[in-house]
Amino acid sequence: MRPGFLLGEVGNGLRRNFSMFVSVVLVTMVSLFFLGVGLLAQAQVSTAKGEWYDRVQVSIFLCTPDSTDAPGCTAGAVTPEQRDQIESDLQGLEPLVTEYFYESNAEAYDRFTEQFRNSSALESVPQESIPASFRVNLSDPSRYDVIRAAFEQAPGVDSVEDQREVVDRLFAFLGALSWGALALAVAMVVCAVLLISTTIRLTAWTRRKETAIQRMVGASAFSIRLPFILETVVAALLGAALAVALLWATVRFGITGFLSELLAGESGLVSLVGERDLWLITPFLVGGAVLLAVVTAWTALRRHVRV
Amino acid sequence: MITMERVSLRYAKADPWALDEVDLDVRRGEFCFVVGESGSGKSSLLRLVILEQRPTRGRVLVAGHDLGELAPRRVHLLRRQIGTVFQDFRLLSGKTVHQNVAYVLQVLGASRHEIRQRVPETLDLVGLQGKGRRLPHELSGGEQQRVAIARAMVNKPPILLADEPTGNLDPDTSEEIVAILDRINRAGTTVVMATHDTTIVDHFRKRVVQLQDGQVVRDQAEGGYRQVVAP
Repeated sequence: MRPGFLLGEVGNGLRRNFSMFVSVVLVTMVSLFFLGVGLLAQAQVSTAKGEWYDRVQVSIFLCTPDSTDAPGCTAGAVTPEQRDQIESDLQGLEPLVTEYFYESNAEAYDRFTEQFRNSSALESVPQESIPASFRVNLSDPSRYDVIRAAFEQAPGVDSVEDQREVVDRLFAFLGALSWGALALAVAMVVCAVLLISTTIRLTAWTRRKETAIQRMVGASAFSIRLPFILETVVAALLGAALAVALLWATVRFGITGFLSELLAGESGLVSLVGERDLWLITPFLVGGAVLLAVVTAWTALRRHVRV
Repeated sequence: MITMERVSLRYAKADPWALDEVDLDVRRGEFCFVVGESGSGKSSLLRLVILEQRPTRGRVLVAGHDLGELAPRRVHLLRRQIGTVFQDFRLLSGKTVHQNVAYVLQVLGASRHEIRQRVPETLDLVGLQGKGRRLPHELSGGEQQRVAIARAMVNKPPILLADEPTGNLDPDTSEEIVAILDRINRAGTTVVMATHDTTIVDHFRKRVVQLQDGQVVRDQAEGGYRQVVAP
């Protein structure tokens, strides 16, 4: 079969079953879009995890006049001696403690008032109830327990908190989002497979005269099936292209353009997926679409087209 | 060219034999009518030749291929050596006469040059010169069958099978169609035609193989439709 004739056959096939062709394109697009979202969300988790874990700190909150529950706060607010002792203990924990800095009660209050500047509750919070703290960076953030054991009961310490717990909640959310998207993608891929099979069956029916003649005059099984497969691949490629375009728009305008600007002013703790991540997953999306189309079409053809 | 050795066929175990111990040898360049009533096994016999059906028992050889040993992926090579014509023409209604005939060559990967040369040649052979641009519905039944013959012959196969090619045609047109098959046969193609058209068989006086209940009951050179018993 010559390429010109083959392309003509493919073109005719697409024209004759245009509505089915469009539906395969759309279903492929939606399934690959969800797959892409799932993969990007996973990429987001792994990109952010490394960077955010490096930045997150353990906070050692010191006693305020109000904190009487903690064992280290029985004497009321932290004294300068107690604070010096904590600091020298921190120095003793090097190299696990790579860096620390002290946030005074006044600095903490300033940050607090800045964060909650729009809240009416602000007025009811006195400055002395906002604790001073040591912000500690660890060489190995997973060894947070060492810090907690050392300082939880220490005089002048109200509580020890690991910011990683907060970040982990965010990652858990992102993880759930990505698995949700992947689950939807799987459901849509199943739809795509079923739709491609049905399309092949319908196409085979509308072209049964042609295929019967091809068979009769001695066309090989492969050349009888090839136009059907190419039509499905064209639909899958088009669907994949649209899905990538949609993902690109989502990344470009939704994440790079909107989210990162929104978050940039906050804490600088932002490392979001970008177009580069999309281009990295694009070959897998396109390759996957083509593979899915070929395998599904071939299987359906074996059932529905006699060769 | 076509040899059958003790060939039997039944479609299901509970069915009667469609063909029962058939022995047949059609030599290269021969013209052979296969006659018999409906259900006698004529079409089944042709189906075995193009490997639409494998025999339940026995051996079939066609154009040098032992069909029992022919792998499924090589069946198309056998079919390229056999042209087939049916009672219902089986033309593509959306294609012109020329396109219907050219379709075979396109499917088999012929060059444009070959197509330009061979399609008009073949249309001339069946007497359809000048009608290449017509659509099938613009043609008479006889002309449509000529297109089908042209399509079967355009690839120059050494064997032509015709299954009731005159079944839908009036007597005069039927005679014209068989005359074309005769002409093709004289040019060297082996022709096997299944028919129950008495007039045609009696008129052309070719070899006649008569089937009855799946068995060959007569194999006669230059025979008529019915065996004439000498007084």
